Amino acid sequence: MMFSSWLALYVAYSIVWLGVFGYLTYLFLRQRRINGDIKALREEVSKHGK
Amino acid sequence: MNLKKLGLIVTAVAAVLVLVTTYLAIYYAPLPATSVKEAGDIMPSVEGSSVTVSGFVTGLNITDLRMKDSPAVIEFSLADFVDYQRYEAAVAAGNTSSQWWTVRPIDVKILSGGFRSTSFGPDITNDVHNTTNISLSAAVTAGSIGENSQALGYYLYTPETNSVVISSSQGGFSAMTAPIAQKIFYFHMPSAWASYMGFIVTLVASVLYLRTRNVKYDWIAMSSAELGVLFATIAITTGPVWAKQEWGVYWRWDDTKLVTTFIMWLVYIGYLSLRAAMSEPTTRARVSAVYGIVGFVTMPMSLLSSRIAPLLNSSHPEVIASSTGSLSAQAGMTVGVAVVAFTFLFVAMLIKRFEIAENEEELEELKRVIGGEE
Repeated sequence: MMFSSWLALYVAYSIVWLGVFGYLTYLFLRQRRINGDIKALREEVSKHGK
Repeated sequence: MNLKKLGLIVTAVAAVLVLVTTYLAIYYAPLPATSVKEAGDIMPSVEGSSVTVSGFVTGLNITDLRMKDSPAVIEFSLADFVDYQRYEAAVAAGNTSSQWWTVRPIDVKILSGGFRSTSFGPDITNDVHNTTNISLSAAVTAGSIGENSQALGYYLYTPETNSVVISSSQGGFSAMTAPIAQKIFYFHMPSAWASYMGFIVTLVASVLYLRTRNVKYDWIAMSSAELGVLFATIAITTGPVWAKQEWGVYWRWDDTKLVTTFIMWLVYIGYLSLRAAMSEPTTRARVSAVYGIVGFVTMPMSLLSSRIAPLLNSSHPEVIASSTGSLSAQAGMTVGVAVVAFTFLFVAMLIKRFEIAENEEELEELKRVIGGEE
């Protein structure tokens, strides 16, 4: 129990950082997937002369 | 300036401010005043540090050797006044370990008066009595001077009386029981602030959508609600980590602040689930906007619940705009920087999420073109 107070602090700060960076990573991956899909679809549209 | 550039600038500012907040929270903000609950956990972790402690004097013993040119030695046990009554009852019942309010007094040693430099502070030997309500800053010291420090292996020591404040009334001092874990507050509170901001933006954007039927407002409402849920999740999970240290339990279902915040969180989880369940964009936007407006009622319930604690039941600390709560200048500055940092973080994430919503719309449009062609 000696480090419980410090441990609590580290756990809480980890939650904050994991939450923020986890969400940012999710946004980044989602953006990348959407950009990939858009690129592929644009190519398909241009291929068909649209 | 386009949205992408603005997003990058805001993100850069947010990143710097969050790093500054982390530094300030850990190294700059002082440990708050502490009371005596779970002293065995607190004291070893802050050995050598000076902590501010307030409480109720009991077991006073003054050894006045001033005839030998020495300062008087004031020794006593410091207990929380309210909890001390419970502590005595718990000791009498033979159970001091399982209840969150159980307290354990701390032994304190103060040197006072004598033929010493006045910089050590005034002589307080006549001012301290059993039952005196006292606050002092003292160093956590390994060793034992009384019954309680023998059990703990630590006591509080100060050769100075400058930091000693004696109050005329019991319960006149605020106190925290987990001073290190209290630093969680510098991220917990700004997270809660960001979540409230998210739900306010959702409300405004929902109203604007219903008035204008501009789909961009729907994207803003959705993006903001998503961020509100993210930050509310952070606040709801970091709070119990602190509560375990401060209250001894992770959660209290009888606490209005906790329960109303949990309900708010569930309501906005419902908002996101509702959107996910609907595929037709116009219907989804309209229903979500109505939900975003109605669901907002939970936000002021959560925000204000700790301010009307006397009417309801909440032990949640009230920080801002409180007549009883107070922060030191350093702690106040840290909170201020943290709130600004999380505001920038929220705006940066909102811009990014909005961009993605725009791109998703473009993707849907392309799919419709392809679909129509086929």
